[in-house]
Amino acid sequence: MIGQVLGHCRVVAKIGEGGMGVVYRAYDEILHRDVALKVLKKTEALERSTGQDLLQEARASSSLAHPNICTIYEIGETEGELYIVMELVEGKSLRAMTGETGLPPESVLRYGVQIASALARAHDRGIVHRDLKAANIVITAEGLVKVLDFGLAKKVGSAIFDAPTRSLATLGEASSVSGTLPYIAPEILSGEPADYRSDLWALGVVLYEAASGRLPFGGRTSFEVSSAILREIPAALGHPVPPGLWAVIQRCLAKEPMQRYQLASEVLAALEAVQSSATVFLDVPGDRSSPPIVSMHSVRHANVKKGDVLLLVGTTKGAFILRSSTQRSRWDVGGPYFHGHSVYAMAYDDRSGQHRIWASTQNPWGTLLRSSDDFGKSWTNPQQAPVRFPLDTGMSLKNIWQITPGRADEPDVLYCGVEPAALFETRDGGQSWSLIRGLFDHPHRPRWMPGNGGLSLHTILLDPANKQRMYIAISSGGVYRTEDGGSTWTAQNRGVRAMFMPNKYPEFGQCVHKIALHPARPERLFLQNHWGVYRSDNCAESWTDIANGIPSDFGFPVLVHPRNPDCVYIVPVESDEFRCACDGRLRVYRTRNAGASWEPLSRGLPQKGAYETVVRDALAADPLEPLGIYVGTRSGQLFASRDEGKTWHKILDGLPSAVCVRAAVVEGASGETVRKLAERPSRTAPSPKKSRNSRKTRQSKKG
Amino acid sequence: MAITFHIPGALREFTGGRGRVEINDSPATVGDALLALWILYPGIRDRVATEQGLVREHINIFVGEENIRYTGGLATPVPSGAEISIVPAVSGG
Repeated sequence: MIGQVLGHCRVVAKIGEGGMGVVYRAYDEILHRDVALKVLKKTEALERSTGQDLLQEARASSSLAHPNICTIYEIGETEGELYIVMELVEGKSLRAMTGETGLPPESVLRYGVQIASALARAHDRGIVHRDLKAANIVITAEGLVKVLDFGLAKKVGSAIFDAPTRSLATLGEASSVSGTLPYIAPEILSGEPADYRSDLWALGVVLYEAASGRLPFGGRTSFEVSSAILREIPAALGHPVPPGLWAVIQRCLAKEPMQRYQLASEVLAALEAVQSSATVFLDVPGDRSSPPIVSMHSVRHANVKKGDVLLLVGTTKGAFILRSSTQRSRWDVGGPYFHGHSVYAMAYDDRSGQHRIWASTQNPWGTLLRSSDDFGKSWTNPQQAPVRFPLDTGMSLKNIWQITPGRADEPDVLYCGVEPAALFETRDGGQSWSLIRGLFDHPHRPRWMPGNGGLSLHTILLDPANKQRMYIAISSGGVYRTEDGGSTWTAQNRGVRAMFMPNKYPEFGQCVHKIALHPARPERLFLQNHWGVYRSDNCAESWTDIANGIPSDFGFPVLVHPRNPDCVYIVPVESDEFRCACDGRLRVYRTRNAGASWEPLSRGLPQKGAYETVVRDALAADPLEPLGIYVGTRSGQLFASRDEGKTWHKILDGLPSAVCVRAAVVEGASGETVRKLAERPSRTAPSPKKSRNSRKTRQSKKG
Repeated sequence: MAITFHIPGALREFTGGRGRVEINDSPATVGDALLALWILYPGIRDRVATEQGLVREHINIFVGEENIRYTGGLATPVPSGAEISIVPAVSGG
């Protein structure tokens, strides 16, 4: 082909090759300019379309004189091969520039504005692109965007499934669908014709990809990709993507064309508004809308009131909610909630004056994160699982082991620790969750090993004094710390034993069972290990063994006294092989000198034939004075002390295995008020909190 | 001819209480049939399949009386008028 003359263009060199054909650099010998010349591959689809059709398209496209559109000069045929002569654009494709981590938001906005501007011009002239994708967008050295191949997709039909796309299995009905699968709008997959709004969908995909380096809808097969396009909500884009840009992308990716922007010029205006830091308010349609609520009519509820002590108990067969006055002598029991589901994580969140109980539920139908704003009378029942691994990870959620509300001044932030070991975060009160990639991509991750409870991230600790610092613990992976809000993580296990490894003090891989810190002295942490009890006084830089005089240093929970950073509680079990209370005597051990010595607390606890196990989250304290402590056992007993552990009494027995206990005091609005708010969805709540208001509009339905 | 899904009790809250759902379409495979089902009733999707699009470990799908685990998984062909059952497996503790 090199040296040949097509029309009045001499072919100089091959530039590249795509699904549509081969592209050459050529020289127009009449107009004396460099041009690009694309020779189209012969395909069945191409043969079906007539040269006349292509000519018409090219004419229309060539009328699109716009700085961001690659101009088509000529289309012709030689020796049965169709070719297109167009403006020679030198630069890199947006795909190639994006890389794996995405571009800075400023660049995404700068390019996005130009792409939207090109689309606006084309749509004005009645031309739909139909195959907008990052590979079709070229950025010149000056930063000018050029959108390629306008108006060609329609006539080329399925031929444009290009190389990266063909690595996916081809769609069954490919012959009737034009475009590149990950960019195809849901309505096209459902057999509707493409219109301007399908281009705006593709623009949403392009912006998502440019901002994150990932496609919003991925998968290994065309079935998975199409299914994701039709049903999935893409993983939220958090920092550094500004919320305004994320909102624009979300609206472009609304499943229903009617819920998208209707014109490219609207997208252009929205992107320009984000660029100039103006706030963009958009209500985002789709599945992110409030999940349905299920009322628990057939369950007995505890009548929780202001000032009550609240006790949340998760078991392997459901959850229970208990209440008591601050006397803590008589307990009113609600439940079981979620009959037959394992509830490994619960949390009470009263930031911003709300009264929200969180629970993770697991059964053969999957794992769900749910919440209740009325102390268990009704619960969210989201259609789509809120915490989910993005498709590109290839992983599926097995269980949620920990739900940790964020800091007091960030009431919409929460974290979930899950199995397989990973950390998720929400910044909008739980409406959307995203995987924290900094930890997920850690090079140690492939070498973490599952423990008895699977490979779980079970503990999340936030440093109240340093917003950038947090700790997580993984069985078996060890303790990791971030100093930059989650972007990077380091293993912090110096001095912690790993009895099951050839090197007993490895950098990571320890089977840490639980860690705890005291908010008033956040540089100090305590750690209950799979053999070993430790303290760190330097933000987990190093750990010191403090198992001084306890009958066994094997155990699961560790609890720090909320007012005394020297006072810690543990519940030792005999050994790895026999994970039951030592000598059949259930004893909680307490230190009041940060581990220099320990004392057994057993008055009121069973001391004969009590082969009990207390798992990592089944030990909790309330905030009252004197301290109330609560212990749930594998055998389904629940014990409490209201004098800091000196004496104990049994609250309940006969429960399923207790795996999670949480205690709190209900402050703020009375339970009555809360219930009324929940039952009258249309009334305005006194709280200005956004997520709370949105929840009140949810429909109630019988469950 | 329409195909019919048999919906287990646990999922009927997502089908408006329906135990039988007819799909007036001729999906080629079980995967296509499921796609059609959860376009109608989106809540079923995450209960039956993982986020990776695989049928959950302890959920079985039968075309007629055949478990699709032994007949090609989601690529199992769906004959015209087929009856597809979604059933939780015998498992658990």
